[in-house]
Order: sequence, then structure tokens, then C-alpha cells
Amino acid sequence: MKVMREDLHVLTGSYALDAISDTEREEFERHLQHCPACEAEVRGMRETAARLALACAVTPPARMEQQVLAATYRTRQLPPLSADRPRQALSPRRTLSPRRALPRRSSSRSAFPRGAVTRRVAVLAAAASVAVAAALGITQLSAQHQLDQARATAIARVVTAPDAHVATARTSVGGSVTVVTSAALREAVVSASGMASLPSSRVYQVWVMSPSGARSAGLVHGSSLLASAVRPGDRIGITVEPADGTARPTTTPVAVLPV
Amino acid sequence: MRQLQPEPPPPPDLAGLLGQVARGDHRAFELAYAELSGPVYGVVRQVLRDPAQSEEVAQEVLLEIWRTASRYDRARGSAAAWALTIAHRRAVDRVRSENACSRREQKAAEPEPAEDDVAETVAATLEHQRVRRCMDGLTGLQRESIKLAYYNGYSYPEVAKLLGVALGTVKTRIRDGLIRMRDCMEVTW
Repeated sequence: MKVMREDLHVLTGSYALDAISDTEREEFERHLQHCPACEAEVRGMRETAARLALACAVTPPARMEQQVLAATYRTRQLPPLSADRPRQALSPRRTLSPRRALPRRSSSRSAFPRGAVTRRVAVLAAAASVAVAAALGITQLSAQHQLDQARATAIARVVTAPDAHVATARTSVGGSVTVVTSAALREAVVSASGMASLPSSRVYQVWVMSPSGARSAGLVHGSSLLASAVRPGDRIGITVEPADGTARPTTTPVAVLPV
Repeated sequence: MRQLQPEPPPPPDLAGLLGQVARGDHRAFELAYAELSGPVYGVVRQVLRDPAQSEEVAQEVLLEIWRTASRYDRARGSAAAWALTIAHRRAVDRVRSENACSRREQKAAEPEPAEDDVAETVAATLEHQRVRRCMDGLTGLQRESIKLAYYNGYSYPEVAKLLGVALGTVKTRIRDGLIRMRDCMEVTW
């Protein structure tokens, strides 16, 4: 979609000035991850916008300083991102922000009521290699408070397997897919992020593809999927299908990865 | 083409301060506050206009800087740009989360032209002059688009409507105008 890309590129300025909708922003940020030229341009524009802000500096009321300084003593700070974590968007995520300036629960992470199961996943995952944890977006995983126990345990087992092998590929609809496979367990964990959102009538479906055909491994609903009985030589594919999924793929895969 | 110019001295190394802030250093945060509170409050107030609301949002932004200092990465831009991006974004979020009608009424009720705010300014005279000089070098449409988008917090479709031009025109004018401003102000990045 070349036309689309050029159209997106023109958005650098509007993006840098926060003059676009949330939906467009998300789309544009996905585009930025694959467009170093756009990113450089946005960077220069952000610096330019900062000068526009500096030009209208106004000394705030004196009481503000005491209030903010006092609030820092009640506010826990975010830990740094690890270097291996997938790239974050340039702009701060709104969802991480505390809503009000004064006392509150300080970390957005603690806002998630995590059950014993998901905590266990997080702990196990932390024991896995950093690359695996980062590739799976483990914070996202640990926030899934409705992970069914058996599946969570199985996913953790694959991710922490001594022979865990990681493959990542970009999809033709943006974002990427990561597959962690344990040949010994014959299982694979499939995790997608940043793919274009679909209308409610469509869904992404994951397939285990072998020379004898393709079988469904489930529908993508935001969390990781477990594919069982995978064999060396099998491939993992993702297609766009009707909302309830289908028995066999009906469209060209947006991504195919070896297990 | 870019050459070093005598810049208004950005006294303490803000990026270094943020590194200390990320490690929980309250003293470093006070110094960062001294540097950033004026531009943060200024830009928030420019967008929101209402002083009480601006104060509230500026406080949130400054606390956010404390909270997320570890996420600042100097390889990705200056510390000021990072902080002011948070500030502008937060102000715009506030505008958009409000009912557009009530906001317009409010604005009509208490007009507070930007120039008055700027006149109160303590720190920004030199930067203000540069910005104005470079703004003068833009086409009328570029200038209006950038002002409406940045200083008024309008989205580009809103800007297009206000100026009576096509969406695509506004997008390209904003981009072209910013590139010109960047080069005119000799922004380094």
C-alpha cells in the first residue's frame, strides 16, 4: 500500500504537534517503528515544537512548587525499560499516567489485581532468557488476569524450556509475531502485537501448517496462544478470518514463521 | 549547513538531571522543576487558557516527569523536548476529553489572548523573538495551521475546518511549516 505509506508520512508534523486522533496516532506509531526517516523527522519536529513551548514560558504560581515537590514523596517512580524490550513509541503512553496530581496508588502495574496463576507465570518467565521474556512482552502477559490456569502453566513451561527457540517476523498488516518453540515439549507459544485492528466481523486466526495441511491453533484475542503437537518443519501462519474462525485458512497469511 | 550559534545558555544539563531524578534524587528534581515548570505551565496554559485548570494539569505533568524520568532516553531527543511533549500532549488530552461546546463557551466568556500570557513571561523573551521571526518566514497558511494546532490544541481536521481548506492541505502545511521553522531556528536534533 504505497499510497497509504506516503499519506502516513505527511502526518509527521501533525503527529509532532499532537494534532491527530488517538486512532491515527496508534497507526502512525506502528508506521514509525519501521520508518527511520519518519522517526528522524519527527524527532526534529519535536525539538522544534519544544522551542514553541519555551517561547511561551510563564512562571507558575509559587504554591505549585511545594505541591509538586510534596507529591514526589508520595509517588513511586517507574523502573527503566530494559534494553532488550521491543521499541516503545516515541511519545509517552497516556495509559501509564496517573490521573490526578495528589495521593493515589502510584504504579499503574499495581492497579492490576494479579492472581496467583499469573504471578507464577511472571516469575517463571522472569527466569527465562531476557530475549524470550522481552519477545513475549511479559508485562502484557502478567496483566492478563483471566489467563486460564492450565494454559498459563503450559505457556510458562514452553517459555522457560531449556531448548526454547525464538523466532520473530513482521506481518504484512503491521506489528510482529513472535513464536517460542520447545522441540522437546512439541509446543509453541504464539504472540502477536501491533497488527492492524480488524472490524468486529473479522479475526486473526493462528494455524499450524504442515505438508499435510493446516490446523487451527486458535483465534488471537490479545494474549498469547499455545500450539500443541508441533513438529520440526511445521510452520505457524496467521490469517484474517470471519469472527468465529474457520476450519481451514481462507485468505493469504499475513505472516508465516517456522517453528 | 547547520552551524553553532550563541544559544541562550541552557544552564544545568537537564538530561543529566533527569538521570539523577530517575534514581530518586529529590534535589535534582527541584533543579529540573526550576528549568521546566515555566515552559510546562506556559504551554499548558496556552492550550487550556483557564488558569486553574492549567495549574492542575501542569502539576500532573511535572509529577509525571518525576515518575517516568527513567524512561527518558537522551539518544532519542533533548530532555526539554521529552518533557514538553508530555506537557502538550496532556493539555491536548484534557481539551479533547471535554465537551467541545462547553469549551467554546468558556473561551468566549473569558477571552485571554495569547499575547497577554506572553507579556507576563519572565524567561522566554529571546526564544519568543526567534519564534516570531521564524513564524514570519512562513506562508500564512503554514503559520495559521501551526498556531491553531500547537497553541490552540486543535486537531488537523479541526484546523482544516477553521481555515476552510482540505485535510491534505493542512497536513502538508503543518509539516512543511515545521520543517521551515526547524531550519530557521537552527534546531539541532
